[in-house]
Amino acid sequence: MLPWLVTIWLFGIGLYGIITSRNYIHLVGCLSVCQSGSYVLLLGIGFKWQAGPPIFYDHPPGTPAVDPVMQALVLTDIVVGAAVTALLLAIAIQVHKRRGTLDPQHLRPLRPDT
Amino acid sequence: MSPAARRVIFLFALVIMAPAARLVAHSMPTFGAATSRYASTVNELAPRLRHVSNMVAAVNFDIRGFDTLAEETMLLCAVVGAVILLRGSRGERDSDKAGVLPGRADIARSDATTLVCRVGGTALLLFGAYVALHGTVTPGGGFQGGVIASSALLLLYLGEGYRCWRNLIHSAVLAAFEGVGALVFVLAAAWPLAQGHPALDNLLPLGKFKDLYSGGAIFLTNCAVGLAVTGSFGQLILEFLEETRSPEDESEPNEADT
Amino acid sequence: MKPLVMTALILTALTGLLVVLSRDPARQVFALAANGLMLGILFFVLQAPDVAYSQIAVGTAVTPLLYLATLAALRINKEHK
Repeated sequence: MLPWLVTIWLFGIGLYGIITSRNYIHLVGCLSVCQSGSYVLLLGIGFKWQAGPPIFYDHPPGTPAVDPVMQALVLTDIVVGAAVTALLLAIAIQVHKRRGTLDPQHLRPLRPDT
Repeated sequence: MSPAARRVIFLFALVIMAPAARLVAHSMPTFGAATSRYASTVNELAPRLRHVSNMVAAVNFDIRGFDTLAEETMLLCAVVGAVILLRGSRGERDSDKAGVLPGRADIARSDATTLVCRVGGTALLLFGAYVALHGTVTPGGGFQGGVIASSALLLLYLGEGYRCWRNLIHSAVLAAFEGVGALVFVLAAAWPLAQGHPALDNLLPLGKFKDLYSGGAIFLTNCAVGLAVTGSFGQLILEFLEETRSPEDESEPNEADT
Repeated sequence: MKPLVMTALILTALTGLLVVLSRDPARQVFALAANGLMLGILFFVLQAPDVAYSQIAVGTAVTPLLYLATLAALRINKEHK
């Protein structure tokens, strides 16, 4: 029960942070908190009590092991999540160069000059 | 929309979603109970079928290899996007010269820092290569080894200083790593297709269980992904650090390396 | 085993809250590094060493560096204006 509650909690406060953020860099950090909620969910689904990691180097194949499919999903997710964070930070740098502010409340979408 | 209105809407959504969240939390399977027959089947069959002892690597590069191909492409696209965004406003001209910001404080490094970073950075690079190569046998793999190797690049930057570091690490080399890694992965998917087998089929000899070379195409794609992730994260780090040193006025020439 | 998993989960929730509550980006970087480390420990306790490898390398070394470099670039841009 606890992992599902922790997932809901992490997603909820991440979303709250995104909504009430006054700085784009802070917003990107809160987005990564939302993402970490999904990692906890996936690994929580795959977990088994009294089971080891799904590596059969020291133990022969057949010893109880946790779910490797969920671990594969989270693994690539973490690395790609970091690259997407870098992309968002690059966008934040460009926004600051063009508009001079990083406050989401003060930035409006660009409108073409009529 | 004013911040107060946003908060009110958030609370409203929370009130509506809370019973749904509670229902979901109660109907989820018990934490710690075995839920997936797919997982137990993979754990039973993959050592025999593919001769690998790291199930996560087998799932990542062979059994669900297509998902990893897509994720690798996503990584490539995100990094190319970030590099274009950061380099585009500076210009492609002097992409090999370290930027110099006039007036930036140059803090001297102590010898102890340089020594520790040289020893530690080289050891960490070796460790990253070890983790990437042994991905089919022990915990590790291409993704993990790649990020460890890219953090070794960071240690080298800390010890050497920006200009020396840029002389060591060339952006073209990192871009080549990234491209070659992604290309080898795509070829490993397309080559069996050209031979008439399903894509990403394991056509190479499978090797022995618990050996360094095991899993055939899994080993190959593992190493390719390790190269690609090192190149990607190295490029990201390089562009972000260059961003802290590029002068605002583009007409100022960069000082020549002394 | 069971109290270890529960403690790791609760600490992860707390560091997540800490990340959101640090409004100043310069302080949020350290909260992010702490969150990354706690997530790595949680993944290790949940018997996922591959994922823990990835998370610790990314979440405590690379991601805080990207944030710090961004903050430095913003400060330099502002000074040069």
